[in-house]
Amino acid sequence: MDQIVYSGEWYWAATLGRVLVALGFAAALLGFFGYLKGSLGKGNQGWMRIGRAAFLAHAFSFLAVIVLVYVLILNHRYEFQYVWKHLNNTMPLSFQVSSFWGGQEGGFLLWMFWHIVLALVLVRTAGRWEGPVLTVFSAVQAFLASMLLGIYFGDYQFGLDPFLLMRESTTNITLPWTRNPDYLSLPQFTDGQGLNPLLQNYWMVIHPPTLFLGFASTLVPFAFAVAGLWKKDYIEWMRPATPWSFFSIMILGTGILMGGAWAYEALSFGGFWAWDPVENSSLVPWIMLVGGAHLLMVNRVRMTSLFTTFLLIMGTFIMVVYSTFLTKSGILGDTSVHSFVDSGILPQLLVYLLTFAALGALMLIGNMKERWMYTALFIAMFFIGVTVAPLEMIILFCLVVLWLMIRAYRAYIPRQTKEEALWSREFWMFIGSLVLLVSAIQITAQTSIAVFNKLLEPFSGTFASLHASTGMEFFKSLSEHSFAPSKDIDQAYHLWQIPLAFIFIMLIAITQYLKYKDTNVKTFVSKIARSFLAASILLLLVLLSFDFAAHEFPRVALLFATLFAVTANVDYLIQVVKGNWDKSGASIAHIGFALLIFGAVISTAQKDVISRNQIGDIRALNEELNNREDMLLMQGDTLPMGDYFVTYRDRYTEGIHVKFEVDYFEKVPKAYTEGDVVFFNNMFFECKEAHTAGRNFSEHMDTHWLFIPIPNERHAREAQLWVSGTPGPFMFTLEPRIQLNEQMGNAPEPDTRHYWNRDLYTHLKWARLTPPETDEDGFLGGRAHDVHIGDSILVSNILVSVDSLSAVATEDKAAYSLLDTDIAIRVHMTLRERGITQPIEPLWIVRDSLIVPDMNQIDDWGLKFLVNRFDPTTQTINLTIWEHESIRRDFIVMQAVIFPQINILWIGCIIMVIGTTLSIRHRYKLAQKAKKDAA
Amino acid sequence: MSKTQVVLIVVVALVVGLIISQVTGMSTSVGFEEAFENPGREFKISGTLDRSQPVVYDPLTDSEMTIFHMVDKNNQIREVKLSKAKPTGLEQSETIDLYGTVVDGEFHASDILMKCPSKYNEHNHSLETAEAGTP
Repeated sequence: MDQIVYSGEWYWAATLGRVLVALGFAAALLGFFGYLKGSLGKGNQGWMRIGRAAFLAHAFSFLAVIVLVYVLILNHRYEFQYVWKHLNNTMPLSFQVSSFWGGQEGGFLLWMFWHIVLALVLVRTAGRWEGPVLTVFSAVQAFLASMLLGIYFGDYQFGLDPFLLMRESTTNITLPWTRNPDYLSLPQFTDGQGLNPLLQNYWMVIHPPTLFLGFASTLVPFAFAVAGLWKKDYIEWMRPATPWSFFSIMILGTGILMGGAWAYEALSFGGFWAWDPVENSSLVPWIMLVGGAHLLMVNRVRMTSLFTTFLLIMGTFIMVVYSTFLTKSGILGDTSVHSFVDSGILPQLLVYLLTFAALGALMLIGNMKERWMYTALFIAMFFIGVTVAPLEMIILFCLVVLWLMIRAYRAYIPRQTKEEALWSREFWMFIGSLVLLVSAIQITAQTSIAVFNKLLEPFSGTFASLHASTGMEFFKSLSEHSFAPSKDIDQAYHLWQIPLAFIFIMLIAITQYLKYKDTNVKTFVSKIARSFLAASILLLLVLLSFDFAAHEFPRVALLFATLFAVTANVDYLIQVVKGNWDKSGASIAHIGFALLIFGAVISTAQKDVISRNQIGDIRALNEELNNREDMLLMQGDTLPMGDYFVTYRDRYTEGIHVKFEVDYFEKVPKAYTEGDVVFFNNMFFECKEAHTAGRNFSEHMDTHWLFIPIPNERHAREAQLWVSGTPGPFMFTLEPRIQLNEQMGNAPEPDTRHYWNRDLYTHLKWARLTPPETDEDGFLGGRAHDVHIGDSILVSNILVSVDSLSAVATEDKAAYSLLDTDIAIRVHMTLRERGITQPIEPLWIVRDSLIVPDMNQIDDWGLKFLVNRFDPTTQTINLTIWEHESIRRDFIVMQAVIFPQINILWIGCIIMVIGTTLSIRHRYKLAQKAKKDAA
Repeated sequence: MSKTQVVLIVVVALVVGLIISQVTGMSTSVGFEEAFENPGREFKISGTLDRSQPVVYDPLTDSEMTIFHMVDKNNQIREVKLSKAKPTGLEQSETIDLYGTVVDGEFHASDILMKCPSKYNEHNHSLETAEAGTP
């Protein structure tokens, strides 16, 4: 085969990139080996230096890889698949920068980048822990680097190559253009696919780097924990690990909340948190780390709950890897709204996950002989798994890890023999961390249903026969292994998470007042009573301003806990900390967290869908009052919605967005006086007592209105449609939009009006983006109606009323060009628009017992009529009306939601970040001081 | 018995309770047949859109009603009444997951999840057609 010389291709970049990746991978392995040898036993400075040099080489290689990918992106080198898939010519610089992490390869690179940054800091600061900690880092980096190798072993692809050329990809390689030396001049290579427009948002620039720094930073406490177990120094590692843990909590927490803010602001999920598997899998590590970091502080003072500390700190990193596995392997598939494609690295991710889970478990075993024994077992299981029975081995693996944990708890991890006192800080912080653990387990279980289904596969037969013998439905479900998460969020998450959060936040309130070792209960109660009272009063105020139903008691209890946590921590700041910034971090962070939860609970539990049950159309008057959350807005109509009047004014296109201008007007409440007559839902009512109209008619229907079964002449003359108010002055315009997205489908984006105490959040449920189909004369598809004499139909802006019927007399038939034998009925109707009226008379003709269609076109009004049927017994006329394109009115289907007090949530976030920063500074100072003292 | 042990027992009991409640609370993914045999119970049904029949969404009549036909995993085709505005990308979807119950012999879906084609597949089409166009 001749070697084709491709013109204009940067093949050198692909080669350079691949060499750098391979070099970086090899250097990470060498770094691991060097640091490992250098840290064993008493340590070996020679090997340490080799490890350090190798790690620096690794760092250099991958920083160069990252720079190279950016060079390719900024130069729009579309011959590279990664660039072609995530970049196009129209993207501004900020999105070009973020297109780097638009795909999985970039995600891994970003993750590795942060590991490198953190590791370089640790090389300088970790001191005697450098060896063990960097051993762990090197191992992790080697695994991550292997995900980017892109080497084939037979059919199995090992890693995803970020430098893959378009012509080399498996899907393209057989296509004839790949043999064209000049293929780069083909039109499809002058521009790329571009970043998915859904991601073209400034959050895409800041959210992924923050979240990945959060993920990366969880490795630091993990590595220190492994180092502590390795060196059998169960306490000292905690000193440097504590500030890092809080750093990780802060960054990861910020990253998660940014995701929430992104979802709230730019995506039409209808809220800031959807319990989506992707969100959950980043929340779980955060929850575990919060528990772990607090236990670190306890254990430094008093060595209790050591096992739980290791479990939480190491579990955090394992859960980060698990989260990566869930989201990147494609296993979540149909349980998540985020669509993930299996890119073939599932086995690699799984091995990565299981290796570090095994490492964590093995480190807990404090006996070398036993460690080797189980290592051998794991290796044996790996080979059986790869060759024979992978799923069975994974289940067995989980059981062995569980066994190792029990074994470590009973035999190896030191335990304090003396029981801690009931009223001690350490005991309640221990309880708090267990609550967090249970919360994390619950969320993980709910998120992992797809994984459980997979693991049930090998036992399908067993459960099927169990079902056959016992007849229990449950076994049948197990054998079918097709469980699906419940769509009921309350049942799936809130049922558990709200009580757990209640306990946890109550502990936030009281624990600072408890002393280590033991507390005098009387002093404790006297100190806390004031905050308790203040919280109770605040709760009362909350209950007075918001309506909670009886079944919402758990939420109310949680609200109380958050208020109590706020008052107790504010009091603690004033009474105990007295403005000492060093010691105020914890209290401030706790206040922030409590406010965050308070805002989240209030804004979701009290959210008000104000577009619900609004009469969007006169036609709807004939229907029953429904429970619809969406509202149909015809262009130009002004309709009441909540405390506003809204008008859909117009639409315009800007870039990739079609924006819909919806004007908001003040609502002037309508005052009714005695004797006023209204009709509502086709019924007449007379006002019994003067009042101001409520939001819905039903509010005052029984108390202030008298139903009139048979209206008299005055009623008929005076009656007006009931309205809750009249439009007042213009307030503002919101522009909910639809993003035109050919690749992923058009996506609605919300628009929100922010008030200090609430948000008005609106998004489109539907809008017409393509012109409707018409016939050759420009008429839209007709709509059939069943009408009776006296009925009216609104077509566009024209009110069509059916007045009467009359048979066509024999002598008139000729005028209508009818036969004498025909039966013909005239339907007398009136068209009305803005005071202009026109009578029309479509005919219903029966000739020889067949219906002759008689199309009635009224050109001036842009309408066509056809009487399809007339049923003399019920006096029902079935008629179809076509409207001409020229009179068609545009409309949108919109949803509007009020989120009360949502700003408290965001304020809470900021306060929590400030508090955590202060805490980190304090802990860092302490760690530095200890280092100085030791030296 | 020490306090720690009591606490651990409570935690274990909690986790067991949790697992039981989770398992009983989960819906199961089935075919239309089973859903129609058990009216009133919520099921998840996976399948694909039946493209030979139209998707009906007439917001002027009902802005929260989309009617379409779905082929389930056992190749059974049923009409589905989804009480939502027509989701964007329904026509382009590769697979559909519906959550709903059978009411009066009709499948009423309350929620829908769709998997849409990845951009990459589309791209392959475009490259192939471009190639076919060049002589």
